[in-house]
Amino acid sequence: MSFGLVLQQLDESARERGGGVYVATMTIVVFFEDAAIGALARDRIHTLAAKHPSRVILFDATQTEGTHHVEGDDWIELGAKGSNAETLRGAANALRLAEAPVILLWIAPGIGDDERFCELSRDARTVVYNSSLVDAGNAALRQLVEYVKRHPELPLADIAYLRLAPWQESVAILFDGEESPELLDLTRVEIACGSDPEGLYLLGWLASRLNWKPGSAETLTGPDGKAIAFAIRRQGEPRRIARVALTSTHSTFVAEVDPHGEMINLSVTGGHAKPPRLRAINNPGVAALVERAILSSQNDRVFQASLAAAGGILASGTPSR
Amino acid sequence: MLEVAPVNPLRTGLPQEGITTPCSAVFFGASGDLFKRMLLPALYSMHLQGMLPAAFALVGFSRTAFTDDTFRDYCRKQLDLFMPQDRKPQGPLWDDFAKRISYVTGDFTDKAHFVALKDRLAQNDTEFGTAGNHLFYLATPPPVFPEIIKRLKEAGLDKDPKGWTRVVVEKPFGTDLESARKLQQTIEAVFPENEIYRIDHYLGKEPVQDIIALRFANTIFEPIWNRNYVQNIQITSAESLGVEERGGYYDSAGALRDMIQNHVINLLALVAMEAPISSHADDIRNEKYKVLSAIRPPSHGDVWSISARGQYGAGTIDGAPVIGYRQEHDVAPDSNTETFAAVKLMVESWRWAGVPFYLRSGKRLPRKVSEIAVTFKPIPHRFYGEATDKIDPNVLVIKIEPDEGISMRFEAKVPGPKEHIRSVFMDFSYGTGFGVVSPPAYERLIGDAIQGDQTLFTRWDAVERAWEIVTPVLEVWQHTKDFTFPNYAAGSQGPHSAQQLFPDWRRI
Repeated sequence: MSFGLVLQQLDESARERGGGVYVATMTIVVFFEDAAIGALARDRIHTLAAKHPSRVILFDATQTEGTHHVEGDDWIELGAKGSNAETLRGAANALRLAEAPVILLWIAPGIGDDERFCELSRDARTVVYNSSLVDAGNAALRQLVEYVKRHPELPLADIAYLRLAPWQESVAILFDGEESPELLDLTRVEIACGSDPEGLYLLGWLASRLNWKPGSAETLTGPDGKAIAFAIRRQGEPRRIARVALTSTHSTFVAEVDPHGEMINLSVTGGHAKPPRLRAINNPGVAALVERAILSSQNDRVFQASLAAAGGILASGTPSR
Repeated sequence: MLEVAPVNPLRTGLPQEGITTPCSAVFFGASGDLFKRMLLPALYSMHLQGMLPAAFALVGFSRTAFTDDTFRDYCRKQLDLFMPQDRKPQGPLWDDFAKRISYVTGDFTDKAHFVALKDRLAQNDTEFGTAGNHLFYLATPPPVFPEIIKRLKEAGLDKDPKGWTRVVVEKPFGTDLESARKLQQTIEAVFPENEIYRIDHYLGKEPVQDIIALRFANTIFEPIWNRNYVQNIQITSAESLGVEERGGYYDSAGALRDMIQNHVINLLALVAMEAPISSHADDIRNEKYKVLSAIRPPSHGDVWSISARGQYGAGTIDGAPVIGYRQEHDVAPDSNTETFAAVKLMVESWRWAGVPFYLRSGKRLPRKVSEIAVTFKPIPHRFYGEATDKIDPNVLVIKIEPDEGISMRFEAKVPGPKEHIRSVFMDFSYGTGFGVVSPPAYERLIGDAIQGDQTLFTRWDAVERAWEIVTPVLEVWQHTKDFTFPNYAAGSQGPHSAQQLFPDWRRI
């Protein structure tokens, strides 16, 4: 790749913009190899860059290496079909803003053996991955678990995990105050969701918070040795949780999305029954999730523990799909 | 003794999406302007964002006769008026909010109505799980604050064995030093300081909070933030509006009480304070109080040399003619009330010795602008010979309203063979810098009060000190009829006396 022309165009655009002030917070490096995903990515990165002014370097692996397109003085698209890992890293380093951190958005399937991912992630302050992007199965999450085992220092955030925030909050609400001892008495967890990674992350999060260890393909083991049965089944739209039900000896705690997908209904039935409550679901868009990843997730120990627990659950026999 | 709720392990390390503390919030003055325009929309917006606790209930309390149902209808109509188009009250989310609303018709002087309120709060605890946590928000005219506080005590609402009790007091906190102290005595006889939240909505604005970030999240400003480098600091809060519907209130208050004593002095404290040892509420409030303590109130004899006052006459704003202050509704035709106030204060500390702080606020000025301008000293060496005199000093401007951001003026060489130096401006705007609209101040402040974070609320010692600082000026002004009033035209830069006090005011 030759960057002289790209840099010249950036300079010309900067001169056309005039002597105004330049604000930049980061360099966003994006890699994709599917045209439809690329179109969505462009839209969302535009949204993100509007809020956090950034230099954007899009590696478009649907376009031949050597092609390029520059918009304004901060948006660069480079053809990356057939580009090797060193070429991509060299391009990113040549075109990034010197002082601003690099955020890598890897929007492509599979990272396990992909040298391009490995090279690009070396310079990134935050790597944003999406383990439920390509299909609803758990293959991408399995790869991520394996990759993180080999590269524990990877400053990673997973959109599939970040998407769970309203559900984590809702499940936590069910056990606030006097209900929290019930967490020690849970016997069953059921999660209905449109794709596996979200369900596994939610279960992994519960397991990591409550010190549950993998037992069998359908059970976890609590700190007192008691078995907690679990089931993750497909229901609803991909990348969305539909229902979480936690059963204790006395009560059943349920968080369930309403038919319009706007609210989460919270209910407790049984011995500790409570009046139903509602919560606005506020599903954040991808741009907002990436923002959350950038602002807060690179040292998120709860995420790391949830990922490790999800990995343990997968390893204990949950079938690949 | 309070029972401590068991820790929920699911909350450990979880980024907080919303407020988790259960709470019943009681709004005294619920039929009033503040509630319908600011507080109710803030609460509903928080509900839509999932920011309110799941265990939340709202109780309106005022003299206006409503039932629970008619008050809910009233709230819905106000939200229809004051919420943006895409956030109108409708559907299940509104239904969920509405069912948490109830109302007590009450006289602020009648204990029986407060007993009824107590029953309602107990009912909320059972029905909505609000856990005995009660937030009392005084959104009434200030004269009834003491009555409400006394009745709360009489009805046994000053504390609840199951939860916490907090009282939010709107500004103004008193009308002068004496009345503020009296109000404080009334409140502190019932509530300890850590349960009193004196609200100044200015402090909830994003750029005001950013003053702390600018100063203490950067290393480049603090070394020059002192008498060695700073020539003066100007704090301006100007409005193009007149008194609108508030003539009655404003004519008994004036610009010094309405703006300088609270908003503007609070800004001064944030700009001038020493670095707090942490971001905790009392560490910041300790430093704010310390810096205000270092301002010596002027003697009566000094007042005219450190202050200027004005009152607007008829003039032109944005090309349209406007009437003078004395012609406004509910304003005395011979009013001596100032609509413009400017004061020069000195902070007598090691850091600020000799650096004047110029504060001004006024109505019917050319445009709405709130800002803090830090003007630095001229360069120390005549590097450019006589041309050195033409070099403007550096100025750092923290912009609060209407544009939110930071601007820096510095000198640069004009390209070419000659040594021409000119000022250039480096602007950071929150609108374009982060491309996002800052959340309304009331959402932040109500949320902080429910969560027990007092950082953005003013502690009594700072309120009292602010009154002590302005009191000599108030007293002299009150006892001296200004026969030049009106002394500035609406739409002008303010009275001539302000220019005499300080000729280098930034242009409004």
